[in-house]
Amino acid sequence: MSEEIDIVIDSKTYHAKEGSLLIDLLIKEKIKVPYFCYHESLGPDGNCRMCMVEIEGQKRPQIACDTFIEPNMEVRSTGKTIEKVRTDILELELINHPVDCPTCDQAGECSLQEYYMDYGLHEAKVSISDKVKHKKHVDLGSNVILDQERCVLCARCTRFTDKITHTHELGIIGRGDDARVSTMPGRKLDNPYAMNVVDLCPVGALTSKDFRFVQRVWFLQTVNSICHGCAKGCNIFIDHNRVKYQDDVIYRFRPRRNDEVNGFFICDEGRLSYKALQENRQETALLQGKEIREEEAIQEAQTLIQKYKDNISVVIDANLYSEEIEAILRFAKKINASVHSPLDVYIEESFKDDMLRSAHRAANYKTIEALHIDTHEPKSSGLLINFNHPQNFNAAAHIDFLTHQRDVPSLVFPIADYTENSGTLTNEDGILQKCEKAISRNLPIPTVIEILLKVKV
Amino acid sequence: MRECKIVSRKFDIPGSHTLEVSKAHGGYRTLAKMDEYSPLEIIEIIRESKLRGKGGGGSPASAKWTLMPQENDKNGKSDKPSFLAVNCDESEPGTFKDRQIISKDPHLLIEGILITCYAIKAKHAYIYIRGEYKQFQDILQFAIDEAYEDGLLDHCDITVHRGAGAYICGEKSALLESMEGKRGHPRLKPKHKEPEWFFDNPILVNNVETIASVPFIIQNGADAYKAYGTEHSPGTLLFAMSGHVNNPGVYEAEYGTSMMAYINHFGGGIRNAKKLKAVIPGGASTDVLTAQEAECATLDYETLRSMKSALGTGGMIVMDEDTCMVTVLKNLLEFYHEESCGQCTPCREGTGWTDKLVGKILDKRGTKEDIEKLLEIADTMNGKTICVFAPAVATVIKSFVSKFRDEFEVAV
Repeated sequence: MSEEIDIVIDSKTYHAKEGSLLIDLLIKEKIKVPYFCYHESLGPDGNCRMCMVEIEGQKRPQIACDTFIEPNMEVRSTGKTIEKVRTDILELELINHPVDCPTCDQAGECSLQEYYMDYGLHEAKVSISDKVKHKKHVDLGSNVILDQERCVLCARCTRFTDKITHTHELGIIGRGDDARVSTMPGRKLDNPYAMNVVDLCPVGALTSKDFRFVQRVWFLQTVNSICHGCAKGCNIFIDHNRVKYQDDVIYRFRPRRNDEVNGFFICDEGRLSYKALQENRQETALLQGKEIREEEAIQEAQTLIQKYKDNISVVIDANLYSEEIEAILRFAKKINASVHSPLDVYIEESFKDDMLRSAHRAANYKTIEALHIDTHEPKSSGLLINFNHPQNFNAAAHIDFLTHQRDVPSLVFPIADYTENSGTLTNEDGILQKCEKAISRNLPIPTVIEILLKVKV
Repeated sequence: MRECKIVSRKFDIPGSHTLEVSKAHGGYRTLAKMDEYSPLEIIEIIRESKLRGKGGGGSPASAKWTLMPQENDKNGKSDKPSFLAVNCDESEPGTFKDRQIISKDPHLLIEGILITCYAIKAKHAYIYIRGEYKQFQDILQFAIDEAYEDGLLDHCDITVHRGAGAYICGEKSALLESMEGKRGHPRLKPKHKEPEWFFDNPILVNNVETIASVPFIIQNGADAYKAYGTEHSPGTLLFAMSGHVNNPGVYEAEYGTSMMAYINHFGGGIRNAKKLKAVIPGGASTDVLTAQEAECATLDYETLRSMKSALGTGGMIVMDEDTCMVTVLKNLLEFYHEESCGQCTPCREGTGWTDKLVGKILDKRGTKEDIEKLLEIADTMNGKTICVFAPAVATVIKSFVSKFRDEFEVAV
């Protein structure tokens, strides 16, 4: 079955595995094919009927999501017949759609809009009063809001709760054009991955309470990054926007497909972790709680390092980029400090599940292990330099490099967090991954490396 | 007209639904005959008899039976138990034959189930019954209980599964989804010939009347069955008749009977001596025939197919000259609008839209473009869905509009 064979699509030859799905090949080869219900993670359902193609020898157009590749197959994905079929089915899809794009959060990334521009462009033939009315605002739970009128009943969301999370909260009730998505009686959408249904929804039926009415998607810039919520290293998109004269703001995290790591999804906790990132940032250097200039702080640090010479411990956060960890190691060697990165503090067994969430809640602990850094707590020392490690340790004097504010009466350097810097991480399965810099602040916060380069020892 | 009572033989006997009366009139005697044959021989007799599925599709029953794994199969499927599902989700408008069987002679069905289960090596049969058939279900259940007490069901269980009232669950894969406890949505069709699957086990799905025809064939042989009917549509069917006739009801007749002869002989002609206008030949989902077409129609699969209609379930809806065809179509579309399962886009949206359009035409708010749009939607609904619900609706719309276009044009 898994033999590579040639098939012809629109007079061009392609290689594909015999018995694999035609729609997968069309998507892979970027041959335009409209679809709502098919999703690579959920498999075919065949309900939207949009992905019709002509197959030589078959008298009727067939759906590509239920067509398996066979030898000598000849497929036409364009042409009058196909365009007409797609237009006609799209028209039916739209007759009861409220066309409230101006107030819809999905506008700009909506499959219905996209296909309408490709195949529709017809005039509405059903008056608003004749459209089927459903509920516009159903709180499903877990930050997900359902607009039943916008729904195309592709059943991706219900299949997600059936096949992926196995929690079965969602179902379709009612028949014919009265059919609508709903939670099962007495239940709420409630699982740690619930918000993925918002990404799966091809239209504006499922929106996230967190992102609703917050930003127009066409204003957002997107960069590739890695979630720092745990050691799984789920691939994400960071969607951010910098309004003129204001600071760059992250508006959402979205899962980025990586079959080796997270597949198509991320957990809700990781998805919403962008919020805490942007709160209580450490933006200036402090000495005993008082703001000081960076140069003064560096001066103070040099004095402390000189004073506690040969009695210094360095503690490293296991969420820092590998490049940062190595720079710290070199720095520690220069000042003859012992280096530690206690990992026990990151372990949270209750967070772990059998999907994506790992009990190790540190994005780069594998690098700490690979570099043989001491994972025990530092013995009480003279000077303790803490590079954003979440724990506080006893010492005569402290220097803290912090991304976020913490109540420490010491010398504090503000450092850039992972969205403001680029670097690499090794996830718990040993896969090396790269994060791009997303945020450019009006008043940039220096990175760990930038500060260390300025400290003369 | 030749009298032929294969399935309805015991219908008129008082108390025919009880085991005692049934046995007194030859019920279950075929079980002894059955033991003379091996399962494969039974299937061979059914194949020879050319018994056709009586649920509407009319394909040969044996084709499905042979797909069921026998012990000597080497395809690895034989380690799974086989099942039989009897489709009694009779909801097609104009069709009410199966309920006659389960209420008048349920033991004939049980006998048929036992023989079928023997042939396909199933140990458990399910009867999927329409939710609205509660009173008939009670009679059927009474008969099953009697059969259990009598020891007839010692080696084969029968469970009655009550549907929740969805027309689509008469479609075999939707029926199985429903029986598995899911929403009654038709499944994607397999690419190769294979049995249906019930919780991943092979299952045979047949109509009540198909199974009820089995005892006669096994008892009397394939040739006795083929003595009735036409060459390609052998045997008999419980044809039903409703609408503007004097004696509506269910009457068994052989395939190939002339439609008008049937209507006049059993139905006593058109009510109030009116003229015939149209006949829907086999349940609502078959194309309407005009009076002229009905004159030359015979009740078999081939003839009606050649007239671009279908025999379907054999439930005729007879309409006299006073009938408004736009109203009839509206009535039917309301039914389809209500009953579309809502899975595929063309059906979900098309049934509602056509219903509204015909409603508009009926209210004299319609335009000529609406008639054209109606036909255009019908085109979109045809051949683009998982099951045959939408295509059936599409051809019904087309047949009404094309054959009675003047009535639609007067209305706009």
